[in-house]
Amino acid sequence: MTLLHDTPGPRARRRIFVWSVVSGLVFAGLLGLAVARFAAHGQLDAARWAPFAQWPIWQYLLVGLLGTLEAAAHVAVLSAVAGVFLALGRLSRVRVVRWLATGYIEVARTVPVLLMIYVTLFALPGVGVNLPLLWKLVLPLTVANSAAFAEIFRAGVLSLPSGQPEAALSLGLTRAQTMRFVVLPQAVRHVTPSLVSQLVSLVKDTSLGYVVAFTELLHRAQVLSAYNHLLVQTFLVVTVIYLVCNGSLSFVAHRLRR
Amino acid sequence: MAALLDNLAPLLHGLLTTLWMAALSAAGALVLGVVVTAMRVSPVPVLRGVAFGYVQLFLNVPLLALLVLFVFALPDAGVLMPLPATAVVVLVVYEAAYVAEAVRSGVNTVVLGQAEAARALGLTFRQALGSVILPQALRAVVQPLGNVMIALVMNTSLFAAVGIVELTAAANKTNLVHAQPIPIFVGAGLTYMGLALLIGLGTGWVERRVAILR
Amino acid sequence: MNLRTVLVVSGLLATALAGCGGGGGSAVPPAATSPDLLTGAPIADAAAIPPGSTMERIKKRGKLIVAEALDAPLLSQQNPTNPDEVTGFDADLAKLLAVYILGKPEVEIVPPATETREALLANGTVDVVFNTYTITPERSEQVTFAGPYFLSGLAVAVKTGTTGIKGIDDLAGKKVIVGANTPAVTEVPKRQPTAAVISFGTDPQAVTALLQGRGDAYVQDLTLLASNAKANPQLTVVGNPFTTEPYGIGLKHGDTDFKQFVNDWLKKIQDNGQWAAAWRNSLGTVVDADPPTPPAIGSVPGS
Repeated sequence: MTLLHDTPGPRARRRIFVWSVVSGLVFAGLLGLAVARFAAHGQLDAARWAPFAQWPIWQYLLVGLLGTLEAAAHVAVLSAVAGVFLALGRLSRVRVVRWLATGYIEVARTVPVLLMIYVTLFALPGVGVNLPLLWKLVLPLTVANSAAFAEIFRAGVLSLPSGQPEAALSLGLTRAQTMRFVVLPQAVRHVTPSLVSQLVSLVKDTSLGYVVAFTELLHRAQVLSAYNHLLVQTFLVVTVIYLVCNGSLSFVAHRLRR
Repeated sequence: MAALLDNLAPLLHGLLTTLWMAALSAAGALVLGVVVTAMRVSPVPVLRGVAFGYVQLFLNVPLLALLVLFVFALPDAGVLMPLPATAVVVLVVYEAAYVAEAVRSGVNTVVLGQAEAARALGLTFRQALGSVILPQALRAVVQPLGNVMIALVMNTSLFAAVGIVELTAAANKTNLVHAQPIPIFVGAGLTYMGLALLIGLGTGWVERRVAILR
Repeated sequence: MNLRTVLVVSGLLATALAGCGGGGGSAVPPAATSPDLLTGAPIADAAAIPPGSTMERIKKRGKLIVAEALDAPLLSQQNPTNPDEVTGFDADLAKLLAVYILGKPEVEIVPPATETREALLANGTVDVVFNTYTITPERSEQVTFAGPYFLSGLAVAVKTGTTGIKGIDDLAGKKVIVGANTPAVTEVPKRQPTAAVISFGTDPQAVTALLQGRGDAYVQDLTLLASNAKANPQLTVVGNPFTTEPYGIGLKHGDTDFKQFVNDWLKKIQDNGQWAAAWRNSLGTVVDADPPTPPAIGSVPGS
């Protein structure tokens, strides 16, 4: 990446310095302007922020965060497992299996999750399927995310040089063994970055829990803002919580990869 | 089925809203995403830092929280835009982070010799980026960008939460009146799938035309 | 019926307007359920709960599962500093019904997104709905309603200082904010076809949108508007309510035994004073008037 540009000489260093100062000033100015306007509208008044210094309020939001993480953990485990099988299905030599897996993946990744949630809520009970609240959120999210995971795993498998499975087969391993011991472990390692961003994305997707009134972070934010009439402040706080959580998830994954 | 046909007008109107908002957001997100990528690989540390922070912010916060914040916090920061405009702006800045990630992975696929050759020819960083690196990077990521665009179309369904009647909201409203969930939601779902299919075919076509055979 | 509505409503209005004059900017914490509301509350005879009935199932389970909001001040609002405490008129009535069946206020709350109430009842997720659920003939094809237990109506609120809007009649061609999935969504276009309707998911969002100038007026249930106006002097309620919204208790469609049972209970708490006490604890805190006379049970189409 650094090789996109040379080690800068004296003139380039000067130019970079000027650019840094100018762009720094512009961005700081914009930020300052926004904060000043915000203060002028009274949004930074101490009284509007004081409630967030209380532990019970945080406790309330953290229970919501726990719900977010619970739902996300369910979805992550289920979709990862389903994703592996769907990816294998799409790569299968059996035509029917390949078609079925491909069909499922293409449908699941091109229908909005919100619409799937509506179907779970309104259409499934009509045919006698009534799920507990958590699963009303987990099921549609799993349907969508398993397709996404499948595509990631498939990309990982395809990215391996064909010499790898060929070598394994020539050593006398069966196709299943080759997949299990040679291809998949390497493929997963290859696509870890994509897996982590999919994980972050599914944590964000759980915010749709507000539709089914599942106790997650955004739903609690909504109830809290009805109670304290501090809409903007509440959502700013919740945004920061999401940022910290998902940011640390990405950071830890980044560290693990090393 | 009757519920679907009787309410074709509001549903079509919703579809139209989805279409124009998605198209506008897509154009904006592509441009902004490329600009952010350029900032991320630039030699200026401040620009790199800002671009990094930008991408991290929008990759990690749910679109729904951003929508509520932008719609209700921006007016207090002195910017009062009409609702549809606000929603499009949110989707542009949100999806631009995903575009930037995709394009950056494309930049990583451009072999270093290309950048070195560009420098050896005496091109400045901007020239090298604009005429050598980005064109190749973009050609390499047509498929991922297509996926970002499909996600963008699906994300327009969240606009319903801030009072915009697009396809999903129209379908939900119709269902509330007629309580015919299966035909209505299946119809809406098929429409989204059709849109995604169009985008998929489109990106496939573009990819075939611009792919670099190595 | 209309006279009573007007009475309730004008009381509410008076306070809402008074609140605008001198109210502080702080939130109104909903009053806690007073313990004496539940002591002495009626409990059903064993004879009223025959084997195989919905009531018996609830009694065996040991708790009543209720669909009610968590974010409706004065009606059913969760206290974030003490999440077990959900208070308001709807919440108190739910507790009273639990006492009637079980002898104890054991309530499990399933907060419904408004659009899912019919589904929650139909698939048996909840036993009853207390959720400002307006009785309409259309809805009664999917839900059986006990009650009505309260009469309210839609009213108009504007940003304080707005001139030229005195009620629904002045909203032609205006931008009108409504709550998503509330009766206002269909009622406003019916009365003012030229008004542009903008719907927001939650009441706080709608209020913020109005104060930020995204619309000229906010049409919502008067009780909610009154509580908003009391909490926030920037909001003013104008004119009288222009509809009558009879709130019913939603039950599974066709469960007529349970409906009869709930109606009997409703009659008892009205006669014994618990209904009025629940009103004083909640809506009564923003209205400077005596509890209204409850609507006659079964008095509206669909109930």
